[in-house]
Amino acid sequence: MSGLGSNQESKVRPGQRRMAQWTRDYARLPGTPDEYIGPDGAPRAAWTRFFDAFSALSPPDIERRFASADRHLREAGVTYRAPGETADRLWPLSHLPLIIDEADWQQLTTGIAQRVQLFEMILRDLYGEARLVSDSAVPAAAIAGSNEYLRAVCGIKPPGGRHLHFYAADVGRGPDGRWWVLNDRTQAPSGAGYALENRLVLSRAFSNLYKSMNVERVAPFFEAFRDSLRASADRDEPRIGLLTPGAFSETYFEHATLARYLGFLLVEGDDLAVSGDRIHIRTVAGLKRLDVLLRRVDSNFLDPLELDASSHLGVPGLIDVLRKDGVVVANMPGSGVLEARALLGFLPSLCRRLLGETLVMPHIATWWCGQKSAREEVLSRLEDFVIEGAYGRTVPGFAGHAPVLAGELPPAERDRLRQAITDRGIDYVGQELVRLSTTPVWEQGRITPRPFVLRVFAAATPQGWTILPGGFCRIAEKADARAVSMGDGVRSADVWVVSDKAVASATLLPGADTVRIRRIAGVVPSRAADNLFWLGRYLERAEATLRLIRALGTSTRDPDKGASTALHSVERIQRILVTWDATSQATRTNPARVIAEALQSEEKFGSALSLVRSVQRTASTLRERLSPDAWQIITEMVERLALQVDDDDSIVSAAELTLQELASLAGLAQENMNRAAGWRFLDMGRRAERAINTARFARQFAYDEAGDDDLDVLLTLVDCQITYRSRYLVGPALAPVRDLAVLDPYNPRSVAFQVAALNDHIAALPSLKEHGLIERPQRLAVALQATLTTAEAATLDVKTLFALEQDLLNLADAIGLHYFPHGPNASRPEKLTGLA
Amino acid sequence: MIYDIRHVTTYAYESPVSFARCSLRLEPRTDDGQQLISHAVEIRPRPAERTVRRDFFGTHTESVLIETAHRNLRIDSRSRVSVARLAPGRTAPSPPWERIRDVAFEATSLGPASPVGYVFASSLVPVLAPLTAYAAPSFAPGGGILTGAVDLMHRIRSDFRYDSKATVISTPLKEVFEKRHGVCQDFAHVMIAGLRGLGLPAAYVSGYLRTVPPAGQPRLQGADSSHAWVSVWCGAELGWVGFDPTNDLLVENDHIVLSIGRDFSDVSPVDGIIVGSPKQKLNVAVDVLLVE
Repeated sequence: MSGLGSNQESKVRPGQRRMAQWTRDYARLPGTPDEYIGPDGAPRAAWTRFFDAFSALSPPDIERRFASADRHLREAGVTYRAPGETADRLWPLSHLPLIIDEADWQQLTTGIAQRVQLFEMILRDLYGEARLVSDSAVPAAAIAGSNEYLRAVCGIKPPGGRHLHFYAADVGRGPDGRWWVLNDRTQAPSGAGYALENRLVLSRAFSNLYKSMNVERVAPFFEAFRDSLRASADRDEPRIGLLTPGAFSETYFEHATLARYLGFLLVEGDDLAVSGDRIHIRTVAGLKRLDVLLRRVDSNFLDPLELDASSHLGVPGLIDVLRKDGVVVANMPGSGVLEARALLGFLPSLCRRLLGETLVMPHIATWWCGQKSAREEVLSRLEDFVIEGAYGRTVPGFAGHAPVLAGELPPAERDRLRQAITDRGIDYVGQELVRLSTTPVWEQGRITPRPFVLRVFAAATPQGWTILPGGFCRIAEKADARAVSMGDGVRSADVWVVSDKAVASATLLPGADTVRIRRIAGVVPSRAADNLFWLGRYLERAEATLRLIRALGTSTRDPDKGASTALHSVERIQRILVTWDATSQATRTNPARVIAEALQSEEKFGSALSLVRSVQRTASTLRERLSPDAWQIITEMVERLALQVDDDDSIVSAAELTLQELASLAGLAQENMNRAAGWRFLDMGRRAERAINTARFARQFAYDEAGDDDLDVLLTLVDCQITYRSRYLVGPALAPVRDLAVLDPYNPRSVAFQVAALNDHIAALPSLKEHGLIERPQRLAVALQATLTTAEAATLDVKTLFALEQDLLNLADAIGLHYFPHGPNASRPEKLTGLA
Repeated sequence: MIYDIRHVTTYAYESPVSFARCSLRLEPRTDDGQQLISHAVEIRPRPAERTVRRDFFGTHTESVLIETAHRNLRIDSRSRVSVARLAPGRTAPSPPWERIRDVAFEATSLGPASPVGYVFASSLVPVLAPLTAYAAPSFAPGGGILTGAVDLMHRIRSDFRYDSKATVISTPLKEVFEKRHGVCQDFAHVMIAGLRGLGLPAAYVSGYLRTVPPAGQPRLQGADSSHAWVSVWCGAELGWVGFDPTNDLLVENDHIVLSIGRDFSDVSPVDGIIVGSPKQKLNVAVDVLLVE
């Protein structure tokens, strides 16, 4: 059985053989340093340790683990959006981490901490006395040119005591083996949430390997950041919001991830209002004070009153609240001014002046053309330079090709660039062309070097700056990695800072003695409540539509049914599907197409597919409130429903599978969701929609002259066949069926049951008005419940059923108007227009 | 000269407005050549809060909060200002424009009067290559800044048509330039963009013109509403000089300065956010009387 190799062969572990095979063609690119192979040509120790452990895994095992990482990313819905795109993209993860040993990392953290400390001091000066400018330590133009230099913020002392709370730097290893800064991110750095997600995925897929490598944990960093934001507020137990531009933002996934992980409220500008000297959040219980705003909205969009007037992402009056010390904004508006490349050349002297130290971290040699000598230097050998915008991400006059490699421009374009730099040198910087180091990526069973950029994150704490051990690494296909944003061919990688000693494990769970016990979990912003309500309605409508499809699919193939009456029920089901825009009137001439269209049509907004997509879209705005399990089911459901099915049998089984998934979602909500106010809105949406649909079904199939087949369809649609049969020995009769579907308070699918549940919810929710009168949703719900409680099945008719349906629709609208002032009927702030 | 200025802004809304938060920049500056004597603003409905501060540019800015439901908002501003300004002659000697540019680039102040704040694109005034090319012929190598700016102002006045219906605030500058028409605000923005494209410091000025011209002179364009023009930094000696491209005039004693900024968005006299009515009708009436 066992292969008997020669003595010599058996001494070579299979792992070593594999390793040799993978690395056979691995070589540093000419003139470029590499992470795996050190400057001496030998592999670095930390990487050797990693590959030793990694190569012990069998190739199928490795592939299986890679696949599991990919699956997790897909299921968790880790997405990003490339600039200018509307669809979410899946996150491409490089399967190998970037590995940095502790000593090397130490050097990086010292440099980053010094840099951000320097930045804080520069900001304090620029938005205060601006002595650095009047003393000529920084040219005024290098500041004034940035549209992040906010004149409205000049003179405001940042509430919370600092401008910068969170900072990131893009770094790369330069030819000299040191880490160099490529870009500073001082405004609202992105990527930390993705770093968190990458860590989660990779440490799960390679859990033993991860443990054996002594990788520094990332949780303590986030904990420290959260604690220091809390401490920056002027009261204990402050309310903290993460301000997002909304679900259409490129990095919305990250905003939701961070909000959930850090326990902050995810808010949009419309959710906030200025009242008195403070910022408040609109909740279902009225306005609640917000103490700290972690913003992912760029400065200029923060306040349409004092900054960009066309912005809909901000809060009118926010800057004035800052002036009155009423809210902590992290980072302070205007801190993005330090991202300007025009400043880079001045940092070494500023560091000496402000900190009395030498600047530790080098950056790419940069000449700002606003200064005569630098401009002349750049113009004298233009083709040697990379030209970048002095302030923003674009190169003025050369939109779309940042950075501009002057040497590669056609002569006419190069002349145009020369003229532009001559006219307005202040807008340009020249930078040296540098080759940054490469790191191994896994490609088709072996490793290959690829250039990368590492984003390092720093958070302010009362004890000083702390650096995330790890980061967000982007790996490029192109040789010049500097322009890497997430686009075609770009992958991200987890970053492992490895130690020789074991590291302490840590999570975000606080120590038992530091937390005050509370049972009501925070507030529910009106927007979240609105979305939860609609999530419930979409889920329930999808379920009802699928039941109609199933009923139609099974009735047409049931040979035992009497032809004429069955046909009658079929027509009625079809009519509802048309009214709900699940299928079209035209399709009804081809009955076989009806259920296919109702299940999968892309165009019809009432098709089951469109409805589960609405579920997914709504759920995506609630990511921080949903369990990962729920999101996973939703994603699978949408993916599966989108797969084309054609014959009736597979349509019916697709509908059945989806119904099961909807049932498991309902189960998750029922069993796993905290009963704080958020859950109530989800359940209210579900109850309201179910009540409306059931009333409609009752009117359509339990009409005054309804036959057995109609009543049978109704019992199926409202899932009461078994209850009915256990209760009545006769076949379906009108009054008992109506009683069961509409009036029976013990039947969890009856209209009366839904109305009772709605009443309980409304009674438990906070009352908004102080005038002591009963509020409209409650008035309608109580009246409905009274009607249903006292009604008798024998006296119901189509007219009363129709009136019931209308009352239910009114109740749903009243709930929307009352609790969600931001719903579609809400009045939004308008800009005063015209030349005044 | 002393002027009495009445500036009445009214908004009529289609449906009731329950909330308004406004910024008013209606108090004329006290500046070289101009002195504010008195100023009062009456607002209906009466605001719940009124707070006053000076913004970055030194403009008196009043923040107003209205919480009374209303269909009409009326802001009635009255000011008395004395003006005694000395404008340089159109052909007065001035430093070469390239020198102005270099000095502005090397400025050592971020203050509101520093030329460096006015050489960059701003929210309503982008730097546009064709517009820079349009301005360039006015500035011969080594030519004086004043000569160049006068020539550019004159060309804008001849090449552009004044048309109060052609543009609104949101009309992009590119379109104004291509169609060669607009109102005083557009004329000012065009001139500013041309100057900044060449690296020259140019500010936007909002203000008023006297309504009745001196005897024997034609009535000026823009005299019955708020007006706008350009201020160009002409070196340390001449300082900021006013150019009115709508009327091809150097600014002297017929102009009253309200406020100064990088473009209209920095100085808009009445600005704000309302909740309640998407449809609104604006009326602005300005009357400038010469008292003595």
